[in-house]
Amino acid sequence: MFNFRLTPEEEASLKLRGLYESYGYSFYRMKRFEEYDFYAGRKDFLTSKSILTFTDINGKLMALRPDVTLSVIKHTGSGKFYYDEKVYRVPRNASTFHEISQSGIECMGHLQPSDLREVLELAILSLHLIADGKRCVLDVADAGQVSRILQGNDDTAVVLHCLAGKNLHGLKAMNAPDELVRLAEIDSHPENSMPYLTTETAGIIDGLKKYHDELRIDFSAVNSLNYYNGLVFRGFIEGIPEAILSGGQYDKMMNMMGHKDAQGIGFAVYLDMIGRRTLNDD
Amino acid sequence: MINVALPKGRLGEKVYGLFSRAGYDFPGMLEKNRRLVFENEALGMRCFWVKPFDVPVFVERGTADIGAAGKDILMERAPDVYELLDLKAGKCRMSVAARNDYHDDPGRVLRVATEFPRIAQEYYSGLGREIDIITLRGSLELAPVLGLSDVIVDIVETGTTLRENNLSVISDIAELSARLIANKSAYKFKGKEISEIMRRLQEVSC
Repeated sequence: MFNFRLTPEEEASLKLRGLYESYGYSFYRMKRFEEYDFYAGRKDFLTSKSILTFTDINGKLMALRPDVTLSVIKHTGSGKFYYDEKVYRVPRNASTFHEISQSGIECMGHLQPSDLREVLELAILSLHLIADGKRCVLDVADAGQVSRILQGNDDTAVVLHCLAGKNLHGLKAMNAPDELVRLAEIDSHPENSMPYLTTETAGIIDGLKKYHDELRIDFSAVNSLNYYNGLVFRGFIEGIPEAILSGGQYDKMMNMMGHKDAQGIGFAVYLDMIGRRTLNDD
Repeated sequence: MINVALPKGRLGEKVYGLFSRAGYDFPGMLEKNRRLVFENEALGMRCFWVKPFDVPVFVERGTADIGAAGKDILMERAPDVYELLDLKAGKCRMSVAARNDYHDDPGRVLRVATEFPRIAQEYYSGLGREIDIITLRGSLELAPVLGLSDVIVDIVETGTTLRENNLSVISDIAELSARLIANKSAYKFKGKEISEIMRRLQEVSC
């Protein structure tokens, strides 16, 4: 027999597969590339606007996949899937493409509140599995509420930048709507923030009572209204300097890709970040 | 332990003054020596001087939990951090300046000399104006005087340097001052301590 050791990323990936399968999600394997046109028309939905391209032997311009969700919607459109894939993006402030490993799930179709609750639960359980005993937190917000408040606002991008940065002085200086300022400054514990949530979101959060110590209602999770339209969430693990999990509801994208009246929700866990603990991690 | 990154130089000393008035003292911080890291065990805090442009990097990457950075640097680097408080120290403006006898020709590509290419690009993109950015590291006033650029995008405090070189402000882009920033993940797990620091700094900043 050969002895071998798994890297922390490989170990996390296997644990996550076990978790998602135990909740009835099927493994989805996809091609590493799609035709460039598929992404070019949907750049609003991509976190990185740069796309790594190459010309196929038949002369077609192809792209190395910058995003998983778009491909899963294109090729399936409904069902519960999990994946373990690489994506190719230029991270913010980087000057070159990076290969990024991510595991995650997509849940699509005519969804019930119980489906949304299950995805949030899986996000928390994913954090538990990879936290290695460290504390973790899942920030949850409702992008739909922000969208409603900002309807007709000309400075949406600037307001969202302030919201994502907890920049209350900035929001006040630009006379952002009071309702939005209140969302930016709420006490994030679920028990205290229920009055600020829609009935549907409050019902979902209420159904996750056993995780309330790790759940935060934090509207800084909404940094764009292009991709997500309902629930948006970000997961953090103590000692890892950035969000290691990111997800949300993408009904708008489902509709734009031809799945009328269908909804979608999912998240990705950025496995490369597992090794990025900071030195000052006390 | 809360790790704090402060910018070396005049702005950093002003901000350290606020920390000190708020009850956060780090013995030796203002002495002329080459030490960079200062610890106050009783407070459970460690403070370090870094180059002003690098404060957001230390905070974004989690080496520092919080830091103080000029709004100009935050606009230019656009780090993914929380901007929790306007410390109101080092107030000045980011402005566009040109020679006193300058007349804009909207039919030409505007030559803009600056140390802040992202800020200049975003400002002129908002105006729908095509520009040619000339990135310089200091002595910006020379650029329009010697004909290297039409305008400069730069920090203006009193305007004395501009006046002495026959330049004047033609438009303002943003009000600047030092801001308290926090690493997003640190804020989740050290939120209580960071909020207390923020509350005390708010009391002494005006």
